Amino acid sequence: MAEAAPIFHFNDERSFIVEEVVARVAQGARDPLLLLNDAAWCEIRRLEARPGKERAEYERFRELARSIGRLSESERRRRVEEVARHYAKDIAGNFDPRVYALSTKVLPTALSLLLSPKDLTLGLRAKGRLREHLVTQGPVERIRALSRRGTVIFAPTHLSNLDSVVFGFALDREGLPPATYGAGKNLFTNPFLSYFMQNLGAYRVDRRIRHDLYKEVLKTYSSVLIERGYHSLFFPGGTRSRSGIVEEKLKLGLLGTGVEGFVHSLRRSHPQRVFVVPATINYMLTLEASTLIADYLAEVGRNRYIIEDDESTRVERVVTLVRKLVMTTGSVVIRFGEPMDPFTNRVLDDGRSVDHRGRTVDPATYVTRDGQPVLDEARDAQYTRELGEAICRSYARETVLLASHLVAGAAFGKLRDQFPGEDLFKLLRHRDEVFVPSDELERRVDDLVGRAAALEDRGGIVLGPGVRGAPASAVIDAAARAWSGYHTNAVLRPAQGGVVLGDTNLLLYYQNRLAVSGLGFHPGRRSK
Amino acid sequence: MGEHAKTPVGILGGGRWGLALACAVARNGHPTLLHSRRAERPDALAPEVAVTSELGALARHSRLLLMAVPSDVVREVARALGDVVDGAHLIVHGIRGLSGEGLTPISEVLREETPCRRVGALGGPALADDLIEGRASVLAVASRYPEVTDAVRAALQGPLMRVSVSHDLVGLEWSSALNGALFVALGYARAIGVPPALLGGFLTRGLHEAARIAVAAGAEERSLFGVAGVGDLLAAMSQDDRPECQLGAALANGATLAEAQARSALRVEAATLVPRVVAFAREHRVDATIFATMEAVFSGRVSRDDVLSGLMQRR
Repeated sequence: MAEAAPIFHFNDERSFIVEEVVARVAQGARDPLLLLNDAAWCEIRRLEARPGKERAEYERFRELARSIGRLSESERRRRVEEVARHYAKDIAGNFDPRVYALSTKVLPTALSLLLSPKDLTLGLRAKGRLREHLVTQGPVERIRALSRRGTVIFAPTHLSNLDSVVFGFALDREGLPPATYGAGKNLFTNPFLSYFMQNLGAYRVDRRIRHDLYKEVLKTYSSVLIERGYHSLFFPGGTRSRSGIVEEKLKLGLLGTGVEGFVHSLRRSHPQRVFVVPATINYMLTLEASTLIADYLAEVGRNRYIIEDDESTRVERVVTLVRKLVMTTGSVVIRFGEPMDPFTNRVLDDGRSVDHRGRTVDPATYVTRDGQPVLDEARDAQYTRELGEAICRSYARETVLLASHLVAGAAFGKLRDQFPGEDLFKLLRHRDEVFVPSDELERRVDDLVGRAAALEDRGGIVLGPGVRGAPASAVIDAAARAWSGYHTNAVLRPAQGGVVLGDTNLLLYYQNRLAVSGLGFHPGRRSK
Repeated sequence: MGEHAKTPVGILGGGRWGLALACAVARNGHPTLLHSRRAERPDALAPEVAVTSELGALARHSRLLLMAVPSDVVREVARALGDVVDGAHLIVHGIRGLSGEGLTPISEVLREETPCRRVGALGGPALADDLIEGRASVLAVASRYPEVTDAVRAALQGPLMRVSVSHDLVGLEWSSALNGALFVALGYARAIGVPPALLGGFLTRGLHEAARIAVAAGAEERSLFGVAGVGDLLAAMSQDDRPECQLGAALANGATLAEAQARSALRVEAATLVPRVVAFAREHRVDATIFATMEAVFSGRVSRDDVLSGLMQRR
């Protein structure tokens, strides 16, 4: 089943794919002179600061910059090909089915064992536990069927560096084929990680390279993979959400390769259907919560944000996190949204696209002109923008609210009520000041869960496993247990007859998961 | 403008506005098919325009479809159209108004009821009679797809028609709809004898209110100051025969809303639109004094003296 996925033959096709990318980039270059000059200018500026190991690269671009004006048009085109080939080879990964099999078997056990030493002798049990703690929801059956009929592009929300590992594990567990994805080159510097990533079909993205030629190679690479049936994983938010707010606006570059790959495939003998599957990854605890929210506040607040202490910016260890996650059932929920075609039509089990009214639509009609599939940059950019909007709507609907988000929402509500009219940055400075009696906190949690449940009934959000109908005290306990001992600063500090609001930044971070739905405070929106 | 092949164009709606668009398109030499539910062929229709009562024929005739049906039937017509079109069609409507309680732009209704993605809207000061009688005029078109605005421009632009292009679809649709309400205010103000200087002041204020409201709905502010916004309003200053202006005048002369509606030649959107716009403005904390005053006028709560003194007061 999953073993039939094209990724299992990637190595045979690798050089062919690289050459296809090179040819297409060279062909698409409207002005080779400008393209090369831009590449050289960017790279020289980047590398001259500290050429170090990349001395040769630096010299190459210096030479290019010097000679570029004298080259003939055909020589320039050849140089575009040369540079594109250099990048395409660097980007292309590897896929080793043995490594894949090994890692999917070993990874969950390893993760659990690493973290739960008393289970050392019972690997199987540990694996079973991770299974329990990671919950997968959504139309998995349909996605499985679609993955046999075309290319699936998984487009999850992005919160943590653990996302790709956790998501990859969930795909395997659900009998879904592995998906290739672009990973930051910095992750490849660790030889152990690098070995796994390389052989799991990840491709390398060097975020330091900013020029158009590189971006073009990267997008073309993704497009070629999509049209050849390689299931792909994009984090369309671009980077991890610093604030914890579910993505409301996406980076459209890679997402656009969905439409592009589809159009190219229509020209081939075996047109490839393309299905986009939005997904949310929901954590009870986020590995990097403190540093992420600090980054966010520093950026948004500028002079209004006063750094409280350096303690909180210390990177927490993965070990504590996973141990915590393993202790609580349903502490990671991956929820797949409704699959759609690149033109935001719903897709049925048999791969047919249907419009709002349930009428079958042929997706090729969106890109066909006078009987021929054509690329049109302006049109496709708009299709992609609308796809991005549809993905964001799906994110909002499929966000899963866990105990930590809800309790933080209730507590943050108290903080705002206590200091009405204060701006966010003033508000956040009231650390360890506000006492909330237990019964009040329970009342607030009850109220919030009630509103969330009403929204869930209208299809606007999802309550996490076990939240609906649970007594508020149990929800509060679950959140408190998760937080305690994981974050350096206490989020809620137990006190006589209630709690004191501790790390207000973290309260904001976790409650931000409620922001888009309007159930919580939204730091980016004008308050009403 | 480059050379444009004469591409077929389909028009939906046998009313005055549909007729007018058909005439303008046919005048530019494009094979034009008009869909109408009425049996007889209208007299004013240019002889080269073909007429059909079958939606399927319209969809087969052309990729570009211009829709000019009354706003209260747009959803029903769009749903029927959805059965015969596919993703290749471009649908552009020329309907002034926003749909339902939620103030949904008509282009959204088209997206909901048809499989088409490439949609757009027409706006601007051109009146149906300008197009039918061949007077020089100006229209605005907006779509997020350059393909759509290109196609409309190719169909309509000519010696007698200037087509102004924008990508801000939401801006054009909101601006057109809100202007419809401002026309009523204009007719009312003129009828109660507001002097020109004061009228200029009121309209400017109305335009600014409209701009803030539209921006809250996702429009770009500058769209309100383009052809479909301020251009539309400036033209209305000397278009006494606008049905909206006539409705405003009737109200000023003591008619109830129902009486005034019955007297006006066309359905006027503003009466249902204004209360919804006022609620929308309140929800988004936007000042909308002119629109709120109009709501009071519609409901018969205020006299003409109240209106004048109310508007003279500083907020």
